[in-house]
Amino acid sequence: MAKATFKGRPAVAGSVEGSAEVSHIGFNTCATYVDVLISGSDSGVCQDHDNTDLFGHDLAGKIVCIPQTIGSSSAATLFMIILDKGIAPKAMLFANHIDSLAACGILMGDNWLGKRIVTVDLLGDDFLDAVKTGDKVKVHEDGTIEVG
Amino acid sequence: MDPVHLPVTKQEQAAVDKIYNRMDELEDLNMKLGMRSKKDWSCAYYLPEMGNTPSRGDYLAWSESSAINYVNSALGARTNRNSMGVDMLCDILGKAPLFGLMTDEGRQAVWLIEVKTTKLPHPEMLGSAIGLKVMEDVSYITGMDRFIKGVDEQSSGYLKDLGAATASNGAVGLYHMEGVTPEAVDKGRDLLNEGYQTYVIDDAELDRIYKSYPNLWKDKQGTPQRVFLGCPHMTLGQMTEWGERIVDAMEKAGKDKIGVPTYMFGSQYVKDAFEKKNPEVVKKLNGYGVSIPINCPMMWCSTPVEGAELVATNSNKTRVYTTARFFFDDVLTELIVTGKLPTNVA
Repeated sequence: MAKATFKGRPAVAGSVEGSAEVSHIGFNTCATYVDVLISGSDSGVCQDHDNTDLFGHDLAGKIVCIPQTIGSSSAATLFMIILDKGIAPKAMLFANHIDSLAACGILMGDNWLGKRIVTVDLLGDDFLDAVKTGDKVKVHEDGTIEVG
Repeated sequence: MDPVHLPVTKQEQAAVDKIYNRMDELEDLNMKLGMRSKKDWSCAYYLPEMGNTPSRGDYLAWSESSAINYVNSALGARTNRNSMGVDMLCDILGKAPLFGLMTDEGRQAVWLIEVKTTKLPHPEMLGSAIGLKVMEDVSYITGMDRFIKGVDEQSSGYLKDLGAATASNGAVGLYHMEGVTPEAVDKGRDLLNEGYQTYVIDDAELDRIYKSYPNLWKDKQGTPQRVFLGCPHMTLGQMTEWGERIVDAMEKAGKDKIGVPTYMFGSQYVKDAFEKKNPEVVKKLNGYGVSIPINCPMMWCSTPVEGAELVATNSNKTRVYTTARFFFDDVLTELIVTGKLPTNVA
């Protein structure tokens, strides 16, 4: 039985489950994947040295739980690149509303590449306070999130 | 790349050629879509010298987080934070979705930022503090009209750098500055929504944030190998200011060569204007060994091989995305002249 359940808005719906990677700091997509962008790296390891929650963590196939994304407008391109390379998170769960850059990238990847990052937003601060890195997380099509 | 003014080794050039192996095709494509010339590459493409300055109220569909921030905040134009690719689609179509920062409601502030520093704060530090706190939200900044009287040649560089730091440390697309930026001058605190949050920034807060920046150099106490100034690209005012600062410091020290390779980054147009208006300063800078490249310092530092160098910079944006270390102007000036960081700098 899940230790906690939350309901958000399914921005890009889907059912997945996996291990959580949690940050309470804005997720800087460009800084996280700068080596992927510039040198064509195939690694999903977070390179953002300002993000002490995720720096050095491999985010490929994980359920990434964040307030929102920040930083460069290259973010959308990066979402498409990591989807194409198969190193993208399995799901992105936002405490706040999804921002325009993440929305563009995830939707373009879904529509043009046929590859999906399940995305739920408006989960609230309580969600981010409850979920911890390493927790088992289940994401349902209607935006329900089970933690633990 | 600007191999004349930022020379690279064969190994470094090979790394660049591998990554940007379709650059010529991209440039040709952009020329067909309306780019005027290959001199047009710059992140600060709204500067007067570029000939692409929007007016207040203009609807745009721009990408480049620092440019979006500047034209929204300092010029009162209206663009959302568009991604690379979506901007192109909108610009080809001539239309953009009307939401967010393109609407009056979306331009209202939900944060009051009270700046209570004892002197004009470094724009990149102030921007970092604001970006980290508000993330994407619109803020209304007070306390800065003690130092800045409006948007002009001198302040535009400051506002550009402040905005760039808010957009790289956060996701800020717009800030209002009381008594300075156009919408704040007209509407004042009517720009603040009910229930706004307040963040006070004083000297101690900026010091706390500065000390939180990690040192990612392999040799933590190493001597910088290059000094990079200008990310985003410098304005004419900034290029002039830094040029005169370096000349003044070198003359006071009685030196005829700088102590560490130093680069002031700007667009070709701004560089041309700087060289035309300040021939004596430029001559001295050339003699000292200071270069004015037109490429992107952040991308240069992110390239493998190049990225291994120890770079000191005045740009918080470069700091966010690379291993370059951010230093204040007086520290960088001493480094440029002597080739060494001051002993009291960690």
